[in-house]
Amino acid sequence: MAAISMRLPVARKPVGPSAPRGGEKHLVAPGDTITTDTGYMRGHGTYVEDEKLIASVAGAVERVNKLICVRALKTRYNGEVGDIVVGRITEVQQKRWKVETNSRLDSVLLLSSMNLPGGELRRRSAEDELAMRDYLQEGDLISAEVQSIFSDGAVSLHTRSLKYGKLGQGVLVQVSPSLVKRQKTHFHDLPCGASVILGNNGFIWIYPTPEQKDEEAGGFTTSLEPVPLSDREVITRLRNCIVALATQQLMLFDTSILYCYEASLPHRIKDVLKPEVMEEIVLETRQRLLHLEG
Amino acid sequence: MRGPPLSNCERRFLLRAIQERKRLDGRQCYDYRNVRISFGADYGCCIVELGKTRVLAQVSCELVPPKPSRPTEGILFFNLEFSPMAAPGFEPGRQSELLVKLNRLIERCLRNSKCIDTESLCVVAGEKVWQIRLDLHLLNHDGNIVDAASIAGIVALCHFRRPDVSVQGEEVTVYTPEERDPVPLSIHHMPICVSFAFFQQGTYLLVDPSEREECVMDGVLVIAMNKHHEICTIQSSGGIMLVKDQVLRCSKITAVKVAEITELILKALENDQKARRVLGRRGKGQGGKFGFAESIPKQKITTFSMESAAVDTNDVEEQAQEIITKAEPPSEVATQPILHSPGTAQIGEGIGNSWRDLEESEGEEAVEEECESKATGSECQTMETQDTNSMKETKPDEPIVLSDSEEEEVVILEPQELPKKTRTQTNSKQENPSTKAFNKRRKKRATY
Repeated sequence: MAAISMRLPVARKPVGPSAPRGGEKHLVAPGDTITTDTGYMRGHGTYVEDEKLIASVAGAVERVNKLICVRALKTRYNGEVGDIVVGRITEVQQKRWKVETNSRLDSVLLLSSMNLPGGELRRRSAEDELAMRDYLQEGDLISAEVQSIFSDGAVSLHTRSLKYGKLGQGVLVQVSPSLVKRQKTHFHDLPCGASVILGNNGFIWIYPTPEQKDEEAGGFTTSLEPVPLSDREVITRLRNCIVALATQQLMLFDTSILYCYEASLPHRIKDVLKPEVMEEIVLETRQRLLHLEG
Repeated sequence: MRGPPLSNCERRFLLRAIQERKRLDGRQCYDYRNVRISFGADYGCCIVELGKTRVLAQVSCELVPPKPSRPTEGILFFNLEFSPMAAPGFEPGRQSELLVKLNRLIERCLRNSKCIDTESLCVVAGEKVWQIRLDLHLLNHDGNIVDAASIAGIVALCHFRRPDVSVQGEEVTVYTPEERDPVPLSIHHMPICVSFAFFQQGTYLLVDPSEREECVMDGVLVIAMNKHHEICTIQSSGGIMLVKDQVLRCSKITAVKVAEITELILKALENDQKARRVLGRRGKGQGGKFGFAESIPKQKITTFSMESAAVDTNDVEEQAQEIITKAEPPSEVATQPILHSPGTAQIGEGIGNSWRDLEESEGEEAVEEECESKATGSECQTMETQDTNSMKETKPDEPIVLSDSEEEEVVILEPQELPKKTRTQTNSKQENPSTKAFNKRRKKRATY
C-alpha cells in the first residue's frame, strides 16, 4: 500500500558560511595558478607551464619548505600505514586475497597476515592454502589494518588482531575517503544502540552491537541470528544520517554522527533523506559541533 | 582499473527477482529497452542507444588493390572498440576476452551472412576495389553490447554512400560528392543480433540483459537473424547446457524482435533521408535539421522530462478506497487567531507565548532551541506562521499569511499531531518587517 507524498519545489535559501575555523586553506581548482615564483619544486597535483605553477586537481595546497603539492579533496583512497579499512574480497589467489578498498589498485591480504585458529605462530601449510576459500570468499566484507604499502601504491593489509576479520550482518555506506576524520580509534559503540566502523577508505560499516564482548573467535564466525526490529531501525537511521552528512560534506567522526542521529530523531527515518530535512539536521549538527569546540 | 564488484546482497536480490519474473527496470522477460537511432551529418555515421548502452558506428571507404585470392570482390573490415568512457574496467590497448569474442561475433554476423554484396564493390577486376571499413565504438556500457553494435553496424552500412565511379577503358574516374551524388552500398538483408541471458541452469531466460543482469547470468545465447527469418549466426557462451526446444523458442522470439527492430531502422533511415532531401543543396530548407547536434537533447536545467515508466494501476481504486476509509478526518482547521498583545498573534496550539514576559529570559532560549528542530516539512496542517513577530493586524476569520512563508497549504492523508507553532531565532534565514516596538524587544533580548 503506498500513499504518495508530494512536495512542491521551493527555492532554498543558501546557508551562510559557518564560523570560520582557524587557518583558511588555500583551495585551488584545476588550472588555477598557485604561484609564479620559480624557486619551488613541484609535487603531486601540479604542473609547470609558462614559468607558472598550475594545479591539476581540485584541492588544498600544501607546502613543505620548497615543495608545493595539491592534495585533492575527492580522490581514491591512498593508503597509509596504520589505517583501518573495510574492504570486499574480489579474488582468491594463491596464498593471498585481493581486496577492493576504493583505491587505485586492489589491496592485498596475504595468507600469512591472517589470523588462523591455532595461534599466532602457526606455519601456513599447504592445507591452509587449499582451505582459503573456507575463510574468506569473493564478496565477503572484512575489516583490516594497513600493514605496508608497495612501491606502486598498492596496500597490503593484515587482520592480526581479534577485532579485525570478517564482518557479519550490517549495513555498508560508501562515502568519499576525505570525509572520514583520522582519529585514535575507528571502532565506535554508539550509545544509541549500534556500533560503527569508520574505515579510512570511505567504507563505513554499521552493525548491531554484539552482546558479549569476549566471544571473539578470531573474527571468522558470523552470527546469522535475526536482528531485532529496534536494532534495525537504529541502524537504518544511522545510515541515513551518515548519507546526509556526506551529502553536506561534513567530516565524519563518532561525535558528528551521534549529534546528527539525535538531531534526526524527530523525523521519520525515511524523511531524513529528503533534501530539506537533510540540510536542517546537518545545520543543527554543525552548530552543536561549533558549540562543542568553542 | 576495475569497476566496483557486485555485492552478495545484490546478486541474491537479482536472482530472487528473476525467479519471480521481475526485472530491475520493470520490463517483462521478453521486452527490449528503447532503441534510439540518430544520424550524424556525414553519410555512414550513426549512434544507436539501447537503453543506456550507446554505440557509435562510422563507415568509410577507400580504393585499394584486392586480395589476390579474390580479385573481383571488395574488402570488408570490421572493428569494435571499447572506449574507457564506457565502463571503468575498460582500458585502452588491452585486448580483453570479451572484446575478442564480440569482434568475432560482429564479423560473423555481417561478413559471413553476405548481407553486403562484395561483387558490386569491384571497380577494376584485379586492380582496384573498394575497401569498406566499419568502426564501432562503445560509448557507454549498460549491458547487451552485441545487440546495440549489430544494429549500429547495419544501420551505418545502410546509411553510407560511397563516391560514384565510372570506368572508361583503362581510366577510372572517381567523382566527388559535388559532381555526382554518392551511391549507397548494395545490401541484401539486415541481420540483427538478439541476446538471451540464462539463469539457474537454463530455467529462466531474459531478452536484452542489462549490465547488472549480465553480472549474475549463467550464460548467453546470441542469435543473428534477418526479417526473412533466416538465421545468420548463432552462438552460445558461458557453458550452459541448452535443450533443443529452448533454442527453438529463442529463435521464434528473435523473429518477432527482429521484425520490430527492422521496421524501426527503416523508419529512421527514411526520416533521415527526408530531412536531408528537404534541406537541399543550399543548406536552407523547411525540413528538419539533421546531425548529432539536433539529436542530442539540450540539457537545460528547467527541462524535467523522464522516460515514461509503466505503472501497474490494476487495483488503484481499491487501494484508494482503503486509504480514504482508514484515514481519520483531518482535524479542525483552527483559523481563530488569538491576539495576545498588539503586534503578536497566535494560531493554533503550541508552546506558550512568552513574548510578553521578557523577564523570563531563561525559559525562552531553551524553548527557542527546541523550536528550531521542529519539523517544518510537509507535516504541517494549515498555514503555519514561521515567525510570531508578525506585524499584521488580523481579522478573526482570516488565517495569517506571511509573505515569505515557505509553507504552502498542504492536506495530508495521515494527520499527525496538531499544528505546532514554530519560532525561528532572530538570526534565522527569514527576514520579516518589524516595527520599532519589536526592535526594542529584540534589543532587550539581545542584551542578556
